[in-house]
Amino acid sequence: MQRYFDVRHVAGESTNIDIDNGVVESATTSLFDRAVVRVLGPSGWGVVSVDNYRDADLDRFVAEALALAELTGETVDLADAPHRVLPLPSPTDDPRSYGLEEKTRLLAGVEAAAKGPEVRNTRAVYTERHETVRFASSEGVEYAYELGRSGYNVLAVAERNGVVQMGYERRHAINGFPLRSGAACGEKARETALALLDARAAIGGRMRVVLDPELAGVFAHEAVGHASEGDLVREGNSVLAGKVGERIGAPGLSIVDDPSLPEFGFDPVDAEGVATARTELVRNGVINAFLHTRETLAAVGNGMAGHARAMPGEVPLVRMSNTFIENGDATYDECLAECGTGILLIGSRGGQVDPGRGMFQFNAEYGYLIEDGEPGAMVRDVSLSGEILGTLHEVALIANDRRMHQGYCGKGGQSVPVGDGAPHVLLSDAVVGGSGHD
Amino acid sequence: MDTIETILKTAAGRADEAEVYLSRSESVGAELSRDRVRVGQANHATGLGIRVFIDGRVGASSTNDPLKWEACLEAALAALRLADPQPWEGLPGPIALPGTPLAFDPAVTLAPSTVAELLDAMKAGAASHPSASVTAGSAGLSRSTVEVANTHGLRYTDEETHASCSVEAIAGTSTGFEFASSHALDLDPAWVGERAAFFAAHGAGGKPLPTGTYDLVLSPLALAELLEAVLMPALVGRNVHAGRSRLAGRVGETILDPRLSLYDDPHRPMGPGAAWFDAEGVPTHRLDLVRDGVLAGFAYDLRTAYRYGAVTTGSAVRGGYGGAPTTGFHTLVLEGPVADVMADEAIYVRSVVGAHTANTITGDFSVEVSNPSFVEGGAFTTPVRTAMWGGNVFDLLSQVEGVSAETRKIGELILPALRIQGQRLVG
Repeated sequence: MQRYFDVRHVAGESTNIDIDNGVVESATTSLFDRAVVRVLGPSGWGVVSVDNYRDADLDRFVAEALALAELTGETVDLADAPHRVLPLPSPTDDPRSYGLEEKTRLLAGVEAAAKGPEVRNTRAVYTERHETVRFASSEGVEYAYELGRSGYNVLAVAERNGVVQMGYERRHAINGFPLRSGAACGEKARETALALLDARAAIGGRMRVVLDPELAGVFAHEAVGHASEGDLVREGNSVLAGKVGERIGAPGLSIVDDPSLPEFGFDPVDAEGVATARTELVRNGVINAFLHTRETLAAVGNGMAGHARAMPGEVPLVRMSNTFIENGDATYDECLAECGTGILLIGSRGGQVDPGRGMFQFNAEYGYLIEDGEPGAMVRDVSLSGEILGTLHEVALIANDRRMHQGYCGKGGQSVPVGDGAPHVLLSDAVVGGSGHD
Repeated sequence: MDTIETILKTAAGRADEAEVYLSRSESVGAELSRDRVRVGQANHATGLGIRVFIDGRVGASSTNDPLKWEACLEAALAALRLADPQPWEGLPGPIALPGTPLAFDPAVTLAPSTVAELLDAMKAGAASHPSASVTAGSAGLSRSTVEVANTHGLRYTDEETHASCSVEAIAGTSTGFEFASSHALDLDPAWVGERAAFFAAHGAGGKPLPTGTYDLVLSPLALAELLEAVLMPALVGRNVHAGRSRLAGRVGETILDPRLSLYDDPHRPMGPGAAWFDAEGVPTHRLDLVRDGVLAGFAYDLRTAYRYGAVTTGSAVRGGYGGAPTTGFHTLVLEGPVADVMADEAIYVRSVVGAHTANTITGDFSVEVSNPSFVEGGAFTTPVRTAMWGGNVFDLLSQVEGVSAETRKIGELILPALRIQGQRLVG
């Protein structure tokens, strides 16, 4: 017999515009409709994912899921958790009030702004997605909401004497339309690509590092966020398991995940109907809490549910939303001065972590060598890696200029929108990688 | 008249040409949490993609509700009106293709009991290294049908089966994972479990590595991660002509070690992307990309080929039913000088963390090595704690010492292990 069931049905439409070297390659709108039905059997879950869900078919899918739950041997329990749906941030500029033609014209402007001498390729891509989410559970929880996300990215590829480099910019928003003011991003992509033609390859080694707000946000996401996910903790696949209350960094270092914040990773309610709220993963340098679903909260403790997220039709997983380092009391200039000799890393080309081993890696878009506290020569293809448990102790200064950036995070084959952010941060000792040689 | 015929008939009155892509798949699977099954899963998926063409303009749309085909067709026509016209010489007409599917095994049925057996066998394999414990795992079986049809009377159907399993293990803070994936029910789950547990157990107590220059053995997995990030995009015609490939204008030049060859082999039975026709209904054939180190050509779909005066290589692929087809590969095979790659001392690179952060154009990368260990005499010797590796994908493929005789399937690739000299690692 089932102990619990829920259904999460997501329908909507997505728009994608692709302009490559001045040619409108596609300007497409597509429709989607997927649902996931979860049933908690005597032991674990049975789950059915289905396209074109109809409420009339619920009983059939519940029965199918219950049969699948017979495969399970792990006893799953659900912690009680508060239910609440937050009001949606009021739309600043609704992308649906612009036609596909107008969006294509605006995107063409962004792409054109990236063109210039020595730029041999430009490409701009616009994405827009509106989801109507409906949820109902056997506990009587029901909700529905509609949320839109839109944004764009632009790439400029520059070439001089056989050297090829690229600049890349992206902007995304919830319930907004950043494309309307995108031309500056095109110019920035071009300027970065051209500047990188003169940059040298970074030389790897241990050194002092200043991270810009975007990259420091990725640092928080990769170095702390993933290892704080309750499912990994439960599986014994996180170096943070069993370490709540232990010091991981200096007083003044606080790292937070907050799906209720109206940034790109916003959820008005989580994917199993639980109220979303702020969780302090690290508070004043001490490991404080983990991210949880109702299931992992019951199994692990330490933290709150409300961090379940899912793509349409997929099983909700413990996920980050808006993850950031809280402001400190230093300034950016103090970070540079204290660094003295080292490297300033700017922007993110993505990252990855092995939470069980406690190793993370991420790449900057570019950097500058710091000498006598001043940024100097530009370097390219530079990365940073380290051990979760050691690296946070190296956070020596935290500035007071936090900014949030938008991205997507992958886990278990599911990609969800996230916001990452931080102020400028100085690491007193970090492993920097690069392909250059002395 | 079935849905596909109805759509094509309606679309023919509104556009010069039209194409319908319909996919259906059913799957069953389960996931482990530690060593117990936590969730049993099933998936019922349908997808419909429509493309329409008028005077060199193309529009596309998709839906997973075939009953909404009219809205989907309207969206495709709306998209067409905004697209810029490009040289276009038409969709393919039908030819006679072999009827036997290349990637179908009738033994793959959607039986939950088979899923349970795969998981049990993986756990038993992992138990051979008692210092490691399983943290997570999964197994899955699927059957899918794909239909491609167009207004020239082409209508092809392909059936595909798929079986997969994977497991993660940990010993202290040393992690290991392994997986297997096949169109046939020929997985070796016990081996998958044993390897994951071995890498976890072996890596525990890794020694610090002095920063310096080392010979490396790249596992097929590590090699795949780097090729997927850099070399494969560089061989796609659209990237080449758009100025996003370092290989543009270099056909006929030596770009890799002269003993390396790379080709797409779509007719290899049970090959990862084995198929008689591509996502646009173009017949597939062997495509030589690098022959004896010399760049032989690039991959094209119809649209890129018409635009740049090339010929389609039958390389259109779809990630799903959504959007339009893109250029990709079916079963990409790398061959090189076979040697005993683990005979002399080297650092073994099982996989890399962060390959997707590589510079896709220049090939420069900087990654963290997963499960690094010294190897010698064909065996794993001293494990290494951490190693960061910076290099260039094109350069390392020009310094090959040898490849293993044994190969494995990773994604769309069939790869050996590869030994290279003189790579700088930061310990």
